[in-house]
Amino acid sequence: MITQFDKLLPVLIGEGVEFIIVGGAAATAHGSTRLTQDLDIVYRRTKDNIALLVRALRPYSPYLRGAPIGLPFAWDEQTISAGLNFTLITSLGAIDLLGEITGGGTFEALLSDSIPVKIFGLECFCLGLRRLIEVKRAAGRVKDLEVIAELEAILEEQKKI
Amino acid sequence: MNTIRRDLSITDPVVEAYKQGIDRTLIRENLRISVQERFENLMALQRFAEELQHSKTQKRDHTI
Repeated sequence: MITQFDKLLPVLIGEGVEFIIVGGAAATAHGSTRLTQDLDIVYRRTKDNIALLVRALRPYSPYLRGAPIGLPFAWDEQTISAGLNFTLITSLGAIDLLGEITGGGTFEALLSDSIPVKIFGLECFCLGLRRLIEVKRAAGRVKDLEVIAELEAILEEQKKI
Repeated sequence: MNTIRRDLSITDPVVEAYKQGIDRTLIRENLRISVQERFENLMALQRFAEELQHSKTQKRDHTI
């Protein structure tokens, strides 16, 4: 299934959800040429923001990605408050809602290292390239080594501009 | 959860080795376009990957 970034991002921004784009989508924003299938966001874990997040995604039937159909998964504030990170599929595509990330922490911890980006006519926050590299390095996953190499190459190319 | 800061001037030899295989012309091309255009290209790539996957499945079904 194709993740409709042009619909998913405006849905979140339009509802006023506070979030930061991280992961592969952040890499794309910085110029990565790699294919990413989902939208990873770190969302603010406040009561109000969780309510906004729930309201924004409700029309798109969020459900646990890869889980058998029919599990008792309720998309509401209580579920989000009780959990932290959610790997979801919606009718607009795949989205990972992250309360915090390895090496980067929470929304509040990442915000000062985030940059505003204008996309699909709206503005949102995206994790800055240097911090994105730091977070990927901190995660220490073998599969990220090639990603880190490309992100560092982007950083080097940006310096030449 | 603790945040971890890394000195980006410290290089990783494995990452450096991977860098040799990166096509920087594609990166330079991407840096010339807007963030929105980068996401539009990503969605086009997703569509292409899906069509490729679909045709692969169809071919396999015909073979069986």
